[in-house]
Amino acid sequence: MNIIETKKLTKYYGKSLGIIDVDLSIKEGEIFGFIGPNGAGKSTTIRTLLGLIHPSSGSATIFGKDITKFGPEIKEDIGYLPSEVFYYDDMKVIDLLKYSGSFYKKDQSAILKKIKELAEYLNLDLKKKIDDLSYGNKKKVGIIQGLLHEPKLIILDEPTGGLDPLMQQRFFDLLREENKKGATILFSSHILIEVQKLCDRVAIIKDGAIIKIEDIKNLTKDTHKKFKIEFLNRVDYQQFTDLKGVSGLISDGNNVSFLYKGNINEVIKMISGFSIVNLLVEEPDLEEVFMHYYQTDKK
Amino acid sequence: MNVFFREFKAYRKSTLIWILSLCTLVVVFLLMYPAFTKDVDVTRELMAGLPLAVRSALDISLQNFFTIYGFFAYLFTFISLAGAVQAMNLGVGIVSKEDSGKTVDFLLTKPISRANVITGKLLAAVSLLLITNLFFGLASFITARLMSAANFDSRLFLLIIVVLFLIQMLFLALGLLMSVIIHKIKLPIVVSLPTVFSFFIVGMLGAIIGNDNVKYICPFKFYDFNYIINHGYYDAKFLIIEAIFVLLSIIFSYVLYIKKDIRAVS
Repeated sequence: MNIIETKKLTKYYGKSLGIIDVDLSIKEGEIFGFIGPNGAGKSTTIRTLLGLIHPSSGSATIFGKDITKFGPEIKEDIGYLPSEVFYYDDMKVIDLLKYSGSFYKKDQSAILKKIKELAEYLNLDLKKKIDDLSYGNKKKVGIIQGLLHEPKLIILDEPTGGLDPLMQQRFFDLLREENKKGATILFSSHILIEVQKLCDRVAIIKDGAIIKIEDIKNLTKDTHKKFKIEFLNRVDYQQFTDLKGVSGLISDGNNVSFLYKGNINEVIKMISGFSIVNLLVEEPDLEEVFMHYYQTDKK
Repeated sequence: MNVFFREFKAYRKSTLIWILSLCTLVVVFLLMYPAFTKDVDVTRELMAGLPLAVRSALDISLQNFFTIYGFFAYLFTFISLAGAVQAMNLGVGIVSKEDSGKTVDFLLTKPISRANVITGKLLAAVSLLLITNLFFGLASFITARLMSAANFDSRLFLLIIVVLFLIQMLFLALGLLMSVIIHKIKLPIVVSLPTVFSFFIVGMLGAIIGNDNVKYICPFKFYDFNYIINHGYYDAKFLIIEAIFVLLSIIFSYVLYIKKDIRAVS
């Protein structure tokens, strides 16, 4: 079953475009990445799914139910963590989390138990006032309020800002654990390494439209190799740029690096004539693949 | 229900302050009643000496001023002004507080419909106002009773006290409507003070120039005390106007809020 399914989901803010014809289908148990630069339409899509904004046209279902008709019912099983978290400053952390839990039909004592577990794991003092928390700690409150009801679908909109690397690691571990228990995750980010670490599939969004949906493996494997070569002597780089399939060539003294798509033997043949000090052939990280999509589009 | 309790708790302190202020004001003022009426003739002369414009602006009727009702009415001009501000603050706060605190994302991504959010908050606001009125009413009633044991008409006095609640309901509804229409209200008081004072001043000017039609657009003039004292009841057409206005404002607020896009915080 598809947990999230959107059909030609479109949102205009007045005359300016938010998203256009977004078609997504996210399967049960999947960790789905959603990448694109700021302003590409990630948040608009997510906010539409959550019923915070209303679509201009198109439709979407979550758990097979229409988002405009069954909003509250659907949200019973969704956990949401936005990039910027704001809570009631006058409340204590524990009261805020209990309040958050009180919206769900689930057994409140089970929720309280989960709150305590998570707080301990994330190292958060429940007795403090929201107002007295640092940004990172507020983020932890956000994580807990998003997970305390053990949601079937977790929606994260650029969630890692403000978390130190250790906490980020714990947070990712938490997500993997929830995923193992069966939760589906929609993870939006413009930091591609995050997506690469966590996600199974990824949608790339640009100017409000989905330009590619791909398995993470395919995206990084089959497309490009990244070459980094250090020569003994200066060489004429022209022959590399002439080679078909080379892009993003950077040269600096005796060093040269480029992305290559095609038969690797061609490159090997060419560089075999030179004295080489060092040779590195890598999988390009998502960022480079991603830049590639954006650049080709520009041309 | 959880939204109701959360809202109720959040306004606990400020409501307590409102109650204490209103009660202190009314008790202290009513305690002066005997002194004021000891020498009726002198005071009446003094009052008559005031220009008519001032008297009508302050709602002083020479005919009723020396009854406890008339005396109370004089103070009530200011009480109703304060009460209107309290009610409108609550009304504006229903939507704008979640907006300005940027907590609206948190609230509306929970399994609760927007209509139920408004309902919970609105009921909390009405309850807080009811409690305020209960204390204010009791304090007024008891003090007035003690100060004017003879000829005290409880029913009439009750009618007068309830006017505060009627005015507050109007401003609560108006506040709610404005908070749905106006975006990014940082503080409720910024909207409620100017609005309440505008209505108040319009009413006052209307009374000074003697334009009777002003009554229809100024809630402070809906429930004229002289009318109540003379007829023993409210002017029914204003009750109807209020009912229609409150109902329409609330319906519009629900419809607009449900349709509204909650944009990302920037």
